[in-house]
Amino acid sequence: MTILYLILPLALLIACAAVAAFAWTVRSGQLDDIETPPRRILFEDEARCDRDR
Amino acid sequence: MTSARPNPQVSTPACLHCQLPIPLGLQSAYCCAGCAVVHEVIAAHGLDQFYALRETASPARTTAHAYAELDDPAFQRLHVARGPDGQARASLYLEDLRCGACVWLVESAPRCVTGLTGIRVDLGKSRADVAWDPSVTSLATVARHLDRIGHPPHPYRGLAREALRSREDRALLIKLGIAGAAAGNLMLLAIALYAGLFGGMSRADTGFFRWASMCVALPALGFAATPFFRTAIGALRVRRLHLDLPLSIGILAGLGWGTANVLRGVGEIYFDSLAMLVFLLLVARWIVLRHQRRASQAAELLLALTPSRAHRVTAGVPTDVPIEAIIPGDIVRVLAGEVVPVDGEIVSGQSAFDVGLLTGESQPIDVAPGARAHAGTLNLAAAIEIRATAVGEATRVGKLVASIAALAVKAPIERLVDRIAGRFVAVVSSVAVLTLLGWSLRSVALGAEHAMALLIVTCPCALALATPLAVTVALGRAARRGILIKGADALERLATPGTLFIDKTGTITAGQLAVVSWRGDLDAAGIAAAAEAGSNHPVARALRAHAAASGFAAEVREQLGHGVRAVIGGREVLVGAPAWVRQRSRSQPAIEGWIAELAERGETPIVIATDGVMRAVAGLADPIRPDAERALGTLAQLGWTVRLLSGDDRRVVQRVGAALGLPAAQCQGEVSPEDKVAAVRRARADGPVVMVGDGVNDAAAMAAASAGIAVSGAAEIAIEAADVYLRSPSIGDVATTAAGAQATLATIRRNLKFSLVYNLIAGALAVSGLIHPLIAAAVMPLSSLTVLASSLRSKAFRS
Repeated sequence: MTILYLILPLALLIACAAVAAFAWTVRSGQLDDIETPPRRILFEDEARCDRDR
Repeated sequence: MTSARPNPQVSTPACLHCQLPIPLGLQSAYCCAGCAVVHEVIAAHGLDQFYALRETASPARTTAHAYAELDDPAFQRLHVARGPDGQARASLYLEDLRCGACVWLVESAPRCVTGLTGIRVDLGKSRADVAWDPSVTSLATVARHLDRIGHPPHPYRGLAREALRSREDRALLIKLGIAGAAAGNLMLLAIALYAGLFGGMSRADTGFFRWASMCVALPALGFAATPFFRTAIGALRVRRLHLDLPLSIGILAGLGWGTANVLRGVGEIYFDSLAMLVFLLLVARWIVLRHQRRASQAAELLLALTPSRAHRVTAGVPTDVPIEAIIPGDIVRVLAGEVVPVDGEIVSGQSAFDVGLLTGESQPIDVAPGARAHAGTLNLAAAIEIRATAVGEATRVGKLVASIAALAVKAPIERLVDRIAGRFVAVVSSVAVLTLLGWSLRSVALGAEHAMALLIVTCPCALALATPLAVTVALGRAARRGILIKGADALERLATPGTLFIDKTGTITAGQLAVVSWRGDLDAAGIAAAAEAGSNHPVARALRAHAAASGFAAEVREQLGHGVRAVIGGREVLVGAPAWVRQRSRSQPAIEGWIAELAERGETPIVIATDGVMRAVAGLADPIRPDAERALGTLAQLGWTVRLLSGDDRRVVQRVGAALGLPAAQCQGEVSPEDKVAAVRRARADGPVVMVGDGVNDAAAMAAASAGIAVSGAAEIAIEAADVYLRSPSIGDVATTAAGAQATLATIRRNLKFSLVYNLIAGALAVSGLIHPLIAAAVMPLSSLTVLASSLRSKAFRS
């Protein structure tokens, strides 16, 4: 069972990384609008303006 | 080529754009000019995919506004940001953004406007962020395009407030994420500990898990629970008891006691239950916050709709400038028919103001130099000049918007929860002291242990969740059915039955003239339809809808307000008002009797005569909606007394009332706005009053009533004064709203009862020393989940 003394802190570190990643997505505004993007994936690519790409 | 597909089930031709039936006799593929413009623009740019993507359809709205003020340097300084790549960026409020199709249409704009490089839509906020190349195009060009596709843009004001809010929202969301992660991981650690409890675990391993739990819980919960600590301290400072106080005591006691026990190496730790508690509470708080945001955004739209430009007068010469360029002290000219853009004092000119938007006053008021003028009021009569004293958010309408946002914060039922919380703190803390003293007779450590357990397990989590969850579920479901309710307090005020005044006969009737009775020659119906074939008059539409035209009319001459004369198959045909037809044809006693009979019933008699002889009488009226009777039955069942209170003709109101089985005493016609307010005030003495209306003249009555319901097509001021806005002007939705409000209140009470019962049981177990951390860990989330299930199971607004 001594392996736990290594595994557990490692697992918690991974959890911390996940939380940090979540905080980053929130801070960068990716979760500000959760209504429009799910509809936007239905649009045909062709419809997006080609000119500025 | 167009991909619009008229609905095959509709027999009347449907508008190519919005698919609503085209008014009979209108020789067009569209129902209105707005739809025609929008459909042409969409087709010309090959954007037909719009029709495949959309979920709802309604007539389009366009304005012919030039949007020149958006290109003014003063506006650009304030609202336009220049990127390092030479691109300009700005945010716009767009009207009528409804579904994915609107998003697609707007975001396809760069294909149609050269120089527009990017546009992103936020559907929830009705906001579009645009980026363009200022050397190629201008913001006004972009705005004109958006207008032409049916989404008139307005400058997006209050960006600073929005930024502040989104910072708040993000901070809460991060706390929510941290609490959730902590709750999940602590539960895994707790499972290991509980397993060790039964299966046996070495003391060193147990200690390790306990230390690990503490290392996760203390920083995570200490940070995530700060919103509760902050409100609790704030409430204590003003000497009030708030629900967050018992929550904070529970959380702090739990964390402190757990830490002490980890350091001592004996005793219970409650970290997993506490983390779950904090997580669920933050979820509830986040839901409530999102709802408040939505309510205040609706109010802000009003501010966005006040004018975006003004005529500033410098040295006697007016120049058009954006509203942002006006500073207090400037002289602003307001022409007749324009909306006053600023708060200020009138310096020259005399006019009349329609101040309905601000006060609900329906009568115009006369103004002269020296009088106060407020932004948002309509200048009716003549040009005036105003010295600005306040602009933008400092104006009265700006403050009104702010107060609406503040009003959305707390409903009486939520204050009830706070009151319960106050007593709750008192009871729990006294019981905790008693527990400590009682058990201390045996052992002080045992006393402390049980008192702590009591504080933790009675942490009123379900109590905090009870109201927001039920209200959120109800408002969400209602919105999907086209019933927009402004807040929890509106629901509460609609839940107690009383008197329901209906102003608009149009909520009960179909809102369109139809032939409801026919006396005399039945063949005359076809002839009348033929004679009216070319007319767009409501009477003509009703006659055409009643019978198929027989024959073709020649030499048609329409006399507005009287009738139509035509020649059909060589015979002279007259269709029109009795007096007009009587002058041109021979009268008959039977026909005259029928005319009097129909008029007495509140119907409009229309006489048909051929070759100088009266042949038949049609009785025209606005027919009762098919769902009206059932809806009134539902309202009566819920305990409401329905009364008609209308400005319409007395006989019409009586007819509608009689058709629905309402006693004549409950149907009043020809009521002035002042009398409406008086009637509402009188009825309020006997109980709650709900006013259903749509006009500026109802706004005052709605404000006087305990709750107002505005129906589709209502004036802006009526929508503002109302607590509920119905997307369709039907009495059926009024009944649904009343029933849904009662069901929601029942759910809230059920939730409150349940959470109190849970606390009673858990408290009793803790006092008697029977509680085990495992029970606490299971029961705490379980109680919250039960409240959640009970809210979702609610019958409110379920279709």
